[in-house]
Amino acid sequence: MAARIDFASLTLKDALDLAVLIEDEAKERYEDFAAQMDQHRTPEAAKFFRLMAVNEAKHGQELAERRGQLFGDAPRTVTRAQIFDVEAPDFDEARAFMSPRQAMKAALASEVKAQAFFVAALPALKDAKVRALFEELRDEEVEHQALVKAELAKLPPDSGLSDDDFVDEPAAQ
Amino acid sequence: MSATCEFQAKDYKSDLKPIWCPGCGDYSVVQGIYRALAAIGRPPHEVAFISGIGCSSRIPGYTTAYGFNTVHGRALPIAQGIKLANPDLLVLAAGGDGDGFSIGGGHIAHLIRRNIDITYIVMDNQIYGLTKGQLSPTSQKGRTTCTSPYGSLENPVNPLLYTLAYGAGFVAQASPTDLAGMAAIIEEAIRYPGFAFVNVQSPCVTYGEEAQQIKGLKAISASLKELGHDPADRLAAMDLAQHYGEKMHLGVFYRNPEPPPTYDALIRERQVQLSQGALPKERILDLFIKK
Amino acid sequence: MRKDLVFGMAGSGGDGIVSAGDSLLQAASAEGYHGVMTKSFGSQIRGGESSCRVRISTDHVLNPGGNLDVAVALNWEDFLKFGAELPVAGTTVVIYEAATGVPENQIPLVGVTPLQVIAVPIAAMAKEHAGTERAKNTVVLGLIAGWFGIGGEAVMKGISKKLAKKSMELVEANQKAFDAGVTFAKEHPLKADMTVVPSASKGKVKLLTDGNDMCAAAAIFAGCQFFGGYPITPSTEIMQFFTNHVWKYGGAVLQAEDEIAGIGSAVGASFAGKKAMTATSGPGLSLKSEMMGLASIAELPLVIVDVQRGGPSTGLPTKTEQSDLFAAAFSAHGDVIRPVLAPTSVADTFRTTVEAFNIAEYYQTPVIILSDQEIASRKETLDPIDTSQFKILNRLQPSGADLQDYKRFKQTESHISPISHPGMQGGTYLASGIEHVESGAPTNSGSVHQRMNDKRIKKLDPLKERKDLFEITGNPDAPLALVAWGSVAGVCREALQMAQAEGLDVKLMVPYLLYPVAEQTYTDFFASVQKGLVVEQSHLAQTFKVLRMHLDLPKGLQSLARSGANPFLPGEIVAALHHLLSELQRSHEGKLQPQE
Repeated sequence: MAARIDFASLTLKDALDLAVLIEDEAKERYEDFAAQMDQHRTPEAAKFFRLMAVNEAKHGQELAERRGQLFGDAPRTVTRAQIFDVEAPDFDEARAFMSPRQAMKAALASEVKAQAFFVAALPALKDAKVRALFEELRDEEVEHQALVKAELAKLPPDSGLSDDDFVDEPAAQ
Repeated sequence: MSATCEFQAKDYKSDLKPIWCPGCGDYSVVQGIYRALAAIGRPPHEVAFISGIGCSSRIPGYTTAYGFNTVHGRALPIAQGIKLANPDLLVLAAGGDGDGFSIGGGHIAHLIRRNIDITYIVMDNQIYGLTKGQLSPTSQKGRTTCTSPYGSLENPVNPLLYTLAYGAGFVAQASPTDLAGMAAIIEEAIRYPGFAFVNVQSPCVTYGEEAQQIKGLKAISASLKELGHDPADRLAAMDLAQHYGEKMHLGVFYRNPEPPPTYDALIRERQVQLSQGALPKERILDLFIKK
Repeated sequence: MRKDLVFGMAGSGGDGIVSAGDSLLQAASAEGYHGVMTKSFGSQIRGGESSCRVRISTDHVLNPGGNLDVAVALNWEDFLKFGAELPVAGTTVVIYEAATGVPENQIPLVGVTPLQVIAVPIAAMAKEHAGTERAKNTVVLGLIAGWFGIGGEAVMKGISKKLAKKSMELVEANQKAFDAGVTFAKEHPLKADMTVVPSASKGKVKLLTDGNDMCAAAAIFAGCQFFGGYPITPSTEIMQFFTNHVWKYGGAVLQAEDEIAGIGSAVGASFAGKKAMTATSGPGLSLKSEMMGLASIAELPLVIVDVQRGGPSTGLPTKTEQSDLFAAAFSAHGDVIRPVLAPTSVADTFRTTVEAFNIAEYYQTPVIILSDQEIASRKETLDPIDTSQFKILNRLQPSGADLQDYKRFKQTESHISPISHPGMQGGTYLASGIEHVESGAPTNSGSVHQRMNDKRIKKLDPLKERKDLFEITGNPDAPLALVAWGSVAGVCREALQMAQAEGLDVKLMVPYLLYPVAEQTYTDFFASVQKGLVVEQSHLAQTFKVLRMHLDLPKGLQSLARSGANPFLPGEIVAALHHLLSELQRSHEGKLQPQE
C-alpha cells in the first residue's frame, strides 16, 4: 500500500474524506474483480466480490453521511492520489477460476491489510478525534474479518484439489 | 478546441470487457490511464490511442477514445502519422515489451530523435502472454519458458537505459503496486511537450514468475522521489536505470527541464511559412512549365 | 526531312551524356517539339555506364521509340553494356568517339550495317575549343544541332541559363565547344537528310516532367496531405517532391525510419482523417504488405505507389519491369481485394493518380498505383492539363443522425460506411486489424467474419463496371488483338498504328485498372478475337496468368512476355502480329476449300 498522507496534521474532516475514498477504492476494485470473474465464467466468485462491493459501498455511504453532518459541503482537500490499495485487494489477487474460498481469502487479506494501515497510522496522529476515528475504523476492519471468516466457515471443507488439475490450458491468441 | 467541462475517470471507460486474465496488471494500467486522462480533461474524442498486438495492446478498446489496435510492433509508426496529420490530438501509444522492444524495437529511437509529442506506455511483463509464455526481450537471462526450456541464453534489453541514451525528454517507470503514482506519472508524461516514455512493470499472472507478481515487485520497489533523485539529472537517471531488472525504481527518471520544440510544432511553423504565396493546388502543374 | 527521331547515347557517368540528353529534350521542347527521354544506368553510383534515349517528334510521342535513328557512343565498352536497350539497325546513324581508335568499318556491332558510321574526335574538339575534355557533351549537342537541326539556339540558351550563375567564362567555353560541333557537322554532311521539320506548335506552352514528379503533383492536387516513405530507387523523387511542396498546402511529409514506418505513418494519417500516400519499389512493397492488409480491414483510404523495377529482391534497381502485378494484387494474407491502377505515360500519371485517390477515398480502401521505372524516370513533354475537368472525391463523413449511435462499420446498401476521424465528436470507435462487428468491437465470430469479408469485397464491385478505366482502340470487331498496360502500352499503341498502316485488322486494350479484374469488359473485348497477344515485361507472364485466372481467354490469345530492362520495340510486336495473322489464315485454309 502506498499512502501520501501527513498524519500529524490530519484533521477530522480530511480523515473522514480519506476514509470515504478508501471505501470507494475498495468498492471499485471489488466491482472490477466481479466483472473479471463474470467475464471469465466464475460466477460464484463474482457473486462474492459483488457482495463485498456492496458492503464497502454501504460503509462508504455511512462515512459520507457522517462527514456531511459534521462538515456539510465544505470542500474536500484530500485526493485519491494520496491513497492506494488500503482496503482494496492488490490487482493480482484476482485469478482465473477462483473458487469462493480463494475469493474470500483475498478479501480477508485485504481486511487485514486495512487494519494494519490504521494501526500503523495511529502513533503519528495528533488530533484526538482523528485518533478515535482511526481506532473505530481499525475495529471495523476486525469486524469485517470476522464476517468473512464466518462466510468461509460456511463453505464445505477444502478438497485440497488444485484448479490446474482440471482447467483447460490458456488459449493462444 | 478543448471543451471546458470536467471529465471523470469513468468517462474514459468503454463498455468493452477486457480479455485479460483476472488479476492481470494491465487492469491497473487502464485505470491509471482513465485517471490521468480525467486529470488532463481532454474530451475522449480528442484523444487517439494506438496500440500494436499483444495482450496489453487490447487497451485502446477499453477506453472511449478513438482507438486503433494495429499490427504487431507498429503502434509508434502509426501514432506518429496521426500526430503529424493532426497535431491538435492527444496521442497515446501503448503495447507490451515484445511489441515495443522486439518486433517494433527499431521505431523507438526514431520517435525519440524526432521528438514527436506522443506518450508511449509499455506494459512490460517480461513474457509473451498472448502466444502462451515465450521468451520476451526483457526476460531475464537463464529464464525457462516454452521457447527456452533449458534457460534463456540472452541478456534482456534495458528499455529505461536505452530510451535515456536515445535522448528521450521524459522517461519514467510505474507499476500496479502504486496506482495513484502510476496515474500521476502517466499524467505528467502526457503533459510533457514531446516524446514521453513510461515503462510499466505490469505482471503477467498466468505466465509471469512469482518474483514478478505484485508482492515480488513491492519487495524490490523504490520511489525515485524518496531516494531524492533529481529528474533533471540525466546522468543520475542513467545510473539508476542500470538497475532495471534488479530493482524497480518508480517515478520519473528524467524530465528535460527545457523541452525543445516538438517535431509537430515545427511542422506547423513550416506550413505557415511556406503556404505564403504558394500556387493554388489547382495550378500545381505550372511547376512543370518550361519557358 | 524527318518528323520523328530517336537518339540513343551512352558513355560513362563522367561524360555527362545524360545531362546532354536533358539539354536536348529541353531545347526541343522549347522549339515546340514533343519528346520523351529515358535514362538507364549501370550499378555504380558515380562513373558507371550511363545512357539516355531521347525521342523527338512533331507529334505526340507514345513511347521512347524502338530502333535508334541516331546512336552516340562516347566509348564502345559502355555503349555495348546497354545491349538491346539501345538497338542499332540498318537505319541508324552511328556517331562515336574517334579517340577509341576503332576504324569506322570495324565498330563492334554484330550483325548490322548501320546507315552511316562517323568517327568524331569529340574529346579532342572539346579540349581544343573549351579547354577541357569535360565539354564533350556540349560538342555532341553541337553535332546534333548541326546534323539534325534540333536545338540550335535553344540548347545554348538552356546551358547559359544553367551556367551563367557560375561564370561567364564557362558559358563562353561551352559556346565554343557547341559551335565546334555544329561546324564539324556542316563540314561532314550526312548521306541522307535527317533534319527535323520545324514544329507547328512552336511557342505553345508545354510541360516537361517525369512520372514521379507528375505522380506527386497529382497527389497534392487530389488533396493528399500526408506522405510517409523511405528512400528507394526508382520511386524516391515522389517523396522529394512532397518535401518541397506539400507544406504549402497544410500537409506534412515524413521520411520514415523504414518502409514499414513509411506506410504506417500514412495509415495513421488516414485514420486521422487526411488523404495519405506512400511510395516505394518492389522490395519496399514486400515490406509494406502487412500494413496494406491492415488498411484493408480497417477500411482506411490509402494510396500506395509501387514504381516497379527488376526483381525479385534487389534485382535491377535502375531498370524497368512489370513483375510486381502478383505482389500488388495478392501480397498480404487474407481474403482481400486491393484495387491496382497503372499509368501508361507521364501525362496519364496525372489522371491515374487522381483516380487512385478518388477510389481510395470513396471506397475506403488502399489502392496501389503500379508505375514502372520507365514512366517514373522518363521525362516527357506534355500539353497543359486542364485540372478543372477532374473531379475530386472525398470519404463519406457521418451525418448528425449517424453520430447519434455511431457504427463505424455499419452495413449499408453500398457496403460503404460513413467514416469518422479523431477530433470528431460522437464518432469515437476502435479501428483494428482484428475482425470486428459494426461498432468496431473485436470479435472472433466466424459468421461476422464472413459478413465483413463480404462487405469489404463487395463494396469494390462497381469498380469493375468502370469502362472509362480501359482504353480500347482499333476496329472493335477485329480478329487480332493486343493487350498491354504500363509503359508497354505506349509501345503497343505505336505497334497498333504501324500494323493498321500495314493493313492488319487489329485492336488494342490498355487497362488502367488491373485489379480487380473487370471480367465483363475483357469478355466483351475478346468476343471478336481469334488471335492476340498479351504483351508484358514479366518473365512469368503475370498479366496473362491473372487474366486466365479470372476468365476464359480465347484459345488464340498468347503471351508475349519477357523479363524487364530490354524494351519491347513496336516493330517486333508488329512482326508478332503478322505471325499471328498467318497462323489465323492457315487455320482458315480448310474452310475456304470447296466442299465435296
